[in-house]
Amino acid sequence: MNLGRKTPLSIYVHWPYCSFLCKFCAFSKARVPLGGVEHERISSALLTELKTVLAPHSDKTLYSIYFGGGTPSLAQPRHIAQIVQMANKLVPLAASAEITLESNPTSAEINKMADFKLSGITRYSIGIQTLNDQVLERMGRLHTGAEGLAAIDRAKQLFPGHVSCDMMFGFEGQTTSEWQRELETVLDHADNHLSLYQLTVEPGTPLFRDLNAQRIKLPAEDTQSQMYETAVELCSSRGFRHYEVSNYAAISSAESVHNKGYWQDRQWIGIGPSAHSRYTDPANGQRIHSVRIPDIQRWAQSCIDNGHGTGKVDLISSLEAKQGAVVFGLRMLDGLSNQRFMSISGGQPLTEYLCMQSVQQHVQNGYLKWTNGSACLAPTEKGLQVIDSILLDIIP
Amino acid sequence: MLQTWVLVVQAGRRVWTRNYWSSKGTHISSSLARRLWQQTYITKAADSKRGEIDISTYPPDRIRNFSIIAHIDHGKSTLADRLLETTGVISKTGKNRQVLDKLKVERERGITVKAQSASMFYEHDGQKYLMNLIDTPGHVDFSYEVSRSLAACQGTILLVDAAQGIQAQTVANFFLAFGEGLEVIPILNKVDLPTAEPERAALQIESAFEIPTNNILHISAKTGLGIDMVLPSVIEKIPPPTGSADSPFKALLFDTWYDKYVGVVCLIAVKDGAIKRGDKIVSSYSGTKYEVAEVGIMHPEQKPTTQLQVGQVGYIACNMKTVAEAHVGDTFYKDKHPVEPLPGFEPAKSMVFAGIFPIDAGEFDRLNESIQKLTLNDSSVSVHKETSAALGQGWRLGFLGTLHMDVFRQRLEEEYDANILMTSPTVPYQIKYKDGITKFIRTPSEFPNAIVMQERVESTMEPFVSSTLIFPEQYLGSMLELCSTHRGDIQTHTYLDESRVMLKCKLPMAEIVTDFYDRLKSKSQGFASFDYEEAGYARSDLVKLEVLLNGEPVDALAAVMHKSSIATAGRDIAKRLKDVIRRQLFDISIQTTSNGKVIARETVKQLRKDVTAKCYGGDARRKMKLLDKQKEGKKRMKKIGRVELPQEAFLSVMTKSQE
Repeated sequence: MNLGRKTPLSIYVHWPYCSFLCKFCAFSKARVPLGGVEHERISSALLTELKTVLAPHSDKTLYSIYFGGGTPSLAQPRHIAQIVQMANKLVPLAASAEITLESNPTSAEINKMADFKLSGITRYSIGIQTLNDQVLERMGRLHTGAEGLAAIDRAKQLFPGHVSCDMMFGFEGQTTSEWQRELETVLDHADNHLSLYQLTVEPGTPLFRDLNAQRIKLPAEDTQSQMYETAVELCSSRGFRHYEVSNYAAISSAESVHNKGYWQDRQWIGIGPSAHSRYTDPANGQRIHSVRIPDIQRWAQSCIDNGHGTGKVDLISSLEAKQGAVVFGLRMLDGLSNQRFMSISGGQPLTEYLCMQSVQQHVQNGYLKWTNGSACLAPTEKGLQVIDSILLDIIP
Repeated sequence: MLQTWVLVVQAGRRVWTRNYWSSKGTHISSSLARRLWQQTYITKAADSKRGEIDISTYPPDRIRNFSIIAHIDHGKSTLADRLLETTGVISKTGKNRQVLDKLKVERERGITVKAQSASMFYEHDGQKYLMNLIDTPGHVDFSYEVSRSLAACQGTILLVDAAQGIQAQTVANFFLAFGEGLEVIPILNKVDLPTAEPERAALQIESAFEIPTNNILHISAKTGLGIDMVLPSVIEKIPPPTGSADSPFKALLFDTWYDKYVGVVCLIAVKDGAIKRGDKIVSSYSGTKYEVAEVGIMHPEQKPTTQLQVGQVGYIACNMKTVAEAHVGDTFYKDKHPVEPLPGFEPAKSMVFAGIFPIDAGEFDRLNESIQKLTLNDSSVSVHKETSAALGQGWRLGFLGTLHMDVFRQRLEEEYDANILMTSPTVPYQIKYKDGITKFIRTPSEFPNAIVMQERVESTMEPFVSSTLIFPEQYLGSMLELCSTHRGDIQTHTYLDESRVMLKCKLPMAEIVTDFYDRLKSKSQGFASFDYEEAGYARSDLVKLEVLLNGEPVDALAAVMHKSSIATAGRDIAKRLKDVIRRQLFDISIQTTSNGKVIARETVKQLRKDVTAKCYGGDARRKMKLLDKQKEGKKRMKKIGRVELPQEAFLSVMTKSQE
């Protein structure tokens, strides 16, 4: 990729509707209304907001655009095209910019895949989640495992080398060997990228309520750990490098440019209801974190009235920025370079910020390591598995 | 929060103040305070220039000093309210609820912690009498205080709930009064209840105390039924105080408290002679001299009188700085006129010790201040600074008993908003050394180590209690079992009537300081009552149980116990700790040991996975907030070596297993 000299920027587009609601999902979303989605209203609001909020960043370069949601594959391809074109007009896309669309493997969406490619999508991410049809049904997902595999196969034809799929493990009743078999099958079909998530029970989700009411029981802590370890080992044996807690890539160019932006402190602008943004205000150099209005209708109305649907703007203190850089940076096996940290900390090196006594202890115990001649702090595979505990020790 | 009603009354040349203090909600209402103010003011205006009333017209034969003793909830405070109403001390509004129980905890628990007394004027057979109702603390923890209060009386009303019959506390109180040589008037209360069985209760009184009950009064303090018979009965049956007006002044100090305005207030019973403002008095115990600033009676608040004379009961204020100077049971005499001290005096003695530590070390100073304020009014709490390797700086507090401890803790938390960690209570054990020296140990850290034990210790002793349990006979089996699992030595069990059993049992005090009472209640479905008195020390095979985390001893988790308890307790504590200690990046071994021998071992396995699965743009803020919260939580953990110990760990060793 041509890094150029301009500041890199990413765009996140939140498309808020889903044709079905998954029991584990904590993202902001709504079921498609009975009368259908008001495609024109949503896309024109997105375009208005994009124009308003992206304008001050025209001197940057767009590295990535990510359509997430919700289920953005329910959007009309021509609207996706309009957003990509508008973004490119405001902030030029880098030559090899990554433009990802998330999708579900339903037949309707599979049929639209080619049109999405024509709209400018370069990377296709499919939410398979599991191949177990019973689990899919229990989780509220309206597709089968076979459809999931078929979607991968189709996507590989259209986006060769740029297909990712999401899987989850740790469902009720799932055993490690079942998970292993499932993953093996997915690996047989997979392209170059996999995201493998442990099922996380987020507050406010139906799954959370089921668990609290003891209607369901998830696998034991040790079983979940085993599943994670199985994922790491199996992917590695198939040549997929573990580059972030839940992400694996067969070749380094397949690693998600967009997501790495989150972990490497890149600026991004989010549009759409509930979308977050993190950027440096070009006017005064302040680090900003903002959130758009979560309610779809109120957000859309605000876009019409004010040109954007921003709900909340916070300044990011230097302390928060440093903390964030470490928390996110150490989710990657490549770790956090001192150089990147110093660009955030205003020159303070990692060794002066972190609790070095704890860092040394974790280095000695094989959880952390200094790489590139101490220029970079990185977790080991073993350390990544318990990185949340380690972060608590080393962040002052 | 405390609400203070400060009443300022202009009387004569002097402005004096009264504070009616109480806790939010259930307490003296503002209208009552206003009423008391009016009453006080009106009475004042009619009296002498200084606002002092003259009670010198009441010689001993016109005085009755009496108390009411009863089991919890048998209606003692309600009867007191009715008597105060009958004599016009408080008005009959129907709103007087346990006027004498002023502390919030007293009302909540239905117990009297701090005794309050009141003087009443009453006309009987054409004669005016001064009736002094001397309230007694209603719990075994305060049995010494009870005995001193009883020593100020010549008789007592033994109040028994006609529905519940006599209970363990009734028995204990009766024998205390009997031991003081008091005239006991049994009265059956709550006879209006549909479940009342007055004949049966009377029968129990006869068989337990061997006192006749043919003319026993049947009353209902709640409805007022039979109340008008109570004071005549007191006058007729209880003898007047003895003593001589011509002998040198001699008085028993039987209660004391701290008043924000006049300082320490002492309640006294004048045994001989008289005392007035300006007199100089001396404490027999300390030899300290005081000048009397005010004398008076409780009516129901402090009301100055011209003097207090033989047979009378009232208060004196004499510029004592702290309650610690006022020793319940002490004898006062006039300067230069020493007298033989009254018998029965004992300095306060702590029977239960517990460590108190601030949860946040930054709150040490504030907690220090709160403890000082609370002990200002309760000199029976002994306070020693203590430093624990595990918990940091704190205190070792000594209490009269577990209720006393609970009340103190509750007041600290509720009235002073304190955030504290309290260690498992222990009793004062004795170590007898071969060289003849005996040492008390207040905390397990003072227990001699294995080498000293072997080479220099002659024997170890623990305090025992003589306990009384009263319960319906169907619980006999479970009560016997309860006593034997607590190393009890059962002495007798007798039937009070055809269905109620009285069990006498000698128990190690250590066995009753944790959860004995709770288990007694649960095993008897609440029907058993329990009371005890101290029964001295006896030899006992004591050992120290230590807890090691990754080989490091945790002082705050150590405990001294009988050898026979060690195996169960050792296993139990190890298991409970395993449940509350979070997995960390290394295996944590939990060992309980005694004399260097491992009793139980548990392992908290190394943390295998601790990583957030999804962390993208929208998760950033949430993740950071969570991190901050976790860091806060980590700060509150106590670190033993590298092991992080949550607060629950300390609580988990405080209660015994439910088997």
